[in-house]
Amino acid sequence: MSCVRARLLARGLLKGWAGLCSADLPGALLSQVSPRLPRAFHCSTTPLASMKSLVPRPREPGKKPGKVPVPHEELFQPTPGGTRDKASFALAVQSFAQHSVRKRGHVDFIYLALRKMPAYGVERDLASYNLLLDIFPKEVFRPRNIFQRIFIHYPRQQECGVAVLEQMENHGVMPNKETEFLLLQIFGRGSHPMLKYVRMRLWLTRFQNINPFPVPRELPQDAVELATLGLRHMEPDLSARVTVYQKPLPDDGTDPVDSVQPHIVGIQSPDQQDALACHNPARPLFVEGPFSLWLRNKCVYYHILRADLLPPEEKKEQEIPEEWNLYHPMKLDLDYARSGWDDYEFDIDEVEEGPVFAICVAGAHDQETLAKWIQGLQETNPALARIPVVFRLAGSTGELLAASGLEDSHQSQHEGQEEDERLQRQQHGQS
Amino acid sequence: MSGCGFFLRRAAAARACRALVALTASRRPLRTSPHSRGFAKELCLGKIEKNGVFPFPEVSQDELNEINQLVKPVEKFFMEEVDSGRIDREGKIPDDTLEKLKSLGLFGMQVPEEYGGLGLSHTMYARLGEAISLDASITVTLAAHQAIGLKGIILVGTEEQKAKYLPKLASGEHIAAFCLTEPGSGSDAASIQSRATLSEDKKHYILNGSKVWISNGGLASVFTVFARTEVADSDGSVKDKITAFIVERDFGGITNGKPEDKLGIRGSNTCEVHFENTKVPVENVLGEVGGGFKLAMNILNSGRFSMGTLVASMIKKLIEMTAEYACTRKQFNRKLSEFGLIQEKFALMAQKAYVMESMAYLTAGMLDQPGLPDCSVEAAMVKVFSSEAAWQCVSEALQILGGSGYMKDYPYERMLRDARILPIFEGTNEILRLFIALTCLQHAGRILTTKMNELKRGNMGVVMETIGRRLRDSLGQAVDMGLTGDLGLVHPSLGDSATKLEQNVFFFGRTVEALLRRFGKSIVDEQLVLKRVANILINMYGMVAVLSRASRSIRIGLRDHDHEVLLANMFCVEAYFQNLFSLSQLDKDAPENLDKQTKEIAQLILEKRAYICSHPLDKLS
Repeated sequence: MSCVRARLLARGLLKGWAGLCSADLPGALLSQVSPRLPRAFHCSTTPLASMKSLVPRPREPGKKPGKVPVPHEELFQPTPGGTRDKASFALAVQSFAQHSVRKRGHVDFIYLALRKMPAYGVERDLASYNLLLDIFPKEVFRPRNIFQRIFIHYPRQQECGVAVLEQMENHGVMPNKETEFLLLQIFGRGSHPMLKYVRMRLWLTRFQNINPFPVPRELPQDAVELATLGLRHMEPDLSARVTVYQKPLPDDGTDPVDSVQPHIVGIQSPDQQDALACHNPARPLFVEGPFSLWLRNKCVYYHILRADLLPPEEKKEQEIPEEWNLYHPMKLDLDYARSGWDDYEFDIDEVEEGPVFAICVAGAHDQETLAKWIQGLQETNPALARIPVVFRLAGSTGELLAASGLEDSHQSQHEGQEEDERLQRQQHGQS
Repeated sequence: MSGCGFFLRRAAAARACRALVALTASRRPLRTSPHSRGFAKELCLGKIEKNGVFPFPEVSQDELNEINQLVKPVEKFFMEEVDSGRIDREGKIPDDTLEKLKSLGLFGMQVPEEYGGLGLSHTMYARLGEAISLDASITVTLAAHQAIGLKGIILVGTEEQKAKYLPKLASGEHIAAFCLTEPGSGSDAASIQSRATLSEDKKHYILNGSKVWISNGGLASVFTVFARTEVADSDGSVKDKITAFIVERDFGGITNGKPEDKLGIRGSNTCEVHFENTKVPVENVLGEVGGGFKLAMNILNSGRFSMGTLVASMIKKLIEMTAEYACTRKQFNRKLSEFGLIQEKFALMAQKAYVMESMAYLTAGMLDQPGLPDCSVEAAMVKVFSSEAAWQCVSEALQILGGSGYMKDYPYERMLRDARILPIFEGTNEILRLFIALTCLQHAGRILTTKMNELKRGNMGVVMETIGRRLRDSLGQAVDMGLTGDLGLVHPSLGDSATKLEQNVFFFGRTVEALLRRFGKSIVDEQLVLKRVANILINMYGMVAVLSRASRSIRIGLRDHDHEVLLANMFCVEAYFQNLFSLSQLDKDAPENLDKQTKEIAQLILEKRAYICSHPLDKLS
């Protein structure tokens, strides 16, 4: 127990110290410091950065990164006529292994490869991660005595290993026995990557399917299909019918806002239809929205058709008709009901809300478009023609800019630059 | 309901009175009140109503001779001339078979003699049913004709209606059908859409609507149709109420769809019937205008008891056929009949047949007794028990036969298909269980409520009685309801079983009291509780029936009564332990009770509308 605590303490100290270094001191100073460390106490220059490697960071203003060529970048240059796929990624990794027999700079290469994985479409491929881990030299980083075990042995390499696992975790890739075998060979049983591995084996299984309303990994590109998916996602009733009230024009999958005729897709369940048919025409209905619904990295905006809650005096108790069931009585003629002492339910204060009669996702959020939706609804709900509909549309203030896709690419570019910057610092630290 | 029962009884009175001696033969009239309240209902109060049950109802010798004379030719006809396999294959009863059935008078079994029917009592109807049950399609055709199709006319028809329709229906010249079910309305009468509107001159109703799954729909020329009419209430408001009509095919506007292709009972005709502006004279309103709902309930309730004898006769035949096979086929140099697992199946079949026969004839006897209350609950019990036992027995018989049972060359697979309809029609067993439980609980609830009110008011007599009863209960005094002992109604060789029944009844009474106190009127929604209550009631009714019948057999010295005692004791022990288990499940917080889990599982599945669990071979990523 005390041994563990000592290790944790030592790790904490190292981290704190290293964090200070990386934050305050330029890489040049670090390069002076690090060689003085004993051989057995390898220390990371970027202990926290690797944890955040996949988290987008705000760009530091006024800092122009110097363009330094990233080592091994040439391995990932697209070959003329070649596509970027799993095979070419494997080829690049293998060519590194052949290229440097002594595995010089393998940590940098792994970080680089991790960043390149999405471009090759292998970020969810377990074999590629295993391939990447396989680059680490075996047996070298395994602690051999108790002191090495207490302190972090080869921290930079260990962190690199953790980063690989981290990226796997973020993409929901479950490591397998081969991963375990590699990690054991490379870092040994008590190492941080191994700990990370064990934790992943435990928690990934528990969290992978924790969302009761799963969203498919690949979202449809078509706006109508995406809207259908979003509507199905919101509507609990499986009998509900999705209706496309208006197809987008021109139908070329471009930005829905630019199109001449925005798409209108709505959903309504039979129960909602019945409820709408019974709605008192004296009470208005409201079209409200837009509200946002996130499906992975995409956002759809929806509108609802709802009514206010009935005041208690207008509520009709559903009475049991006298002649209802041909076979058995529907109620017992007794004075008393279920007694309180038999009620084990928690006392939950439920707030009743007004009924929602339909939901729609439209390409445009103006009244004109939504009026078309209401018109379409009237075909299946004749009662709607007699009920006044009030449009209560919020401005598009809550909405993300439509050019978010463009922004994303900018963002990733910036991130790439920052990553480069960080990498440079790391290299300085190491050299 | 009892009003209609009265009509029914008056119709059969001529025969019933001379036929039955049961009422006067009750040797120990323990209950002095003139009205007995029905056997099953009293069970819910923890009492055994012996009147009408002990001794087992009997028929007079004359009547027995008469029925035997009737049954013989029918049995001969069915054994020799009816080709059930052909009827099943062709999906139609041949015309000459139908003609012969008519000439045998089987279309008017319960029609009073003055209208040209046989005027059979319930007991005799049940007995004749045994002969008919050799072919399921014919049974269903006949039952649809007279157990429900023309029953309305017998129950509430005016003299003119009876005189006009019954003779032709009894002779089979006209066939009747019962048109109640609609596409959107099974047991839910409120969703009946067919409508009859009074014409301007108030002489006709114009009938419009569609009915589905009408047995005999294609053959019938007289329909009992239920439709909505506008009825002015006493306070002047107009309400939609259901009214029954006698509709002749000649009234016009009646079309029927093509016969449905069914799993079993393929020879019976089932189809849709459409009414389009059919003009029905006002004289053809059956019963009162707006009284259709009660009439439909009465008709449905009155026809059920006979299923017990029909099924019992089928099982008896099945036993003969399979026993033949089991005693001839050899495996490993031993006959099948020597294997315990095969013997078990025969014991099961015999036991089920014995119990349902006893229950059915007991109920028929109770129905034939003048002045007794309606036995709709008992009839429903017979139906539930016999339909489920039928499926079980046919399935076991198939198991005895192994592969040959599965082949179309043998009649067994047809019997299996035919038996499958029994738990579904005439009210599904689920709904009948609710009916049984709720009717009995309603009765118990009324009496217990008055008792509780008395207690609250501080009636010293009631208070002392309650305290005394609690004391006696806690001292664990043996239950004695007068079935056993020196003056007992049950023969001593069945004494143990009778004690078991008494114990069951006693604890059941206590449990019902606790249930009613616990759930009150919200017990209507506790269907799983109600199912158990119904199961216990059915078991107890079966126990009483076999005890009563076996005791009678011993006392009058019937042949092989020791075999009956065996069967009776076996059933009673089984039922006793089943009941004990069900009773313990009805306890609050019983570990045996898995209702909560059952409901949760079902809710999750129904939310997704699919089986939820992942495949056992699935892996993570």
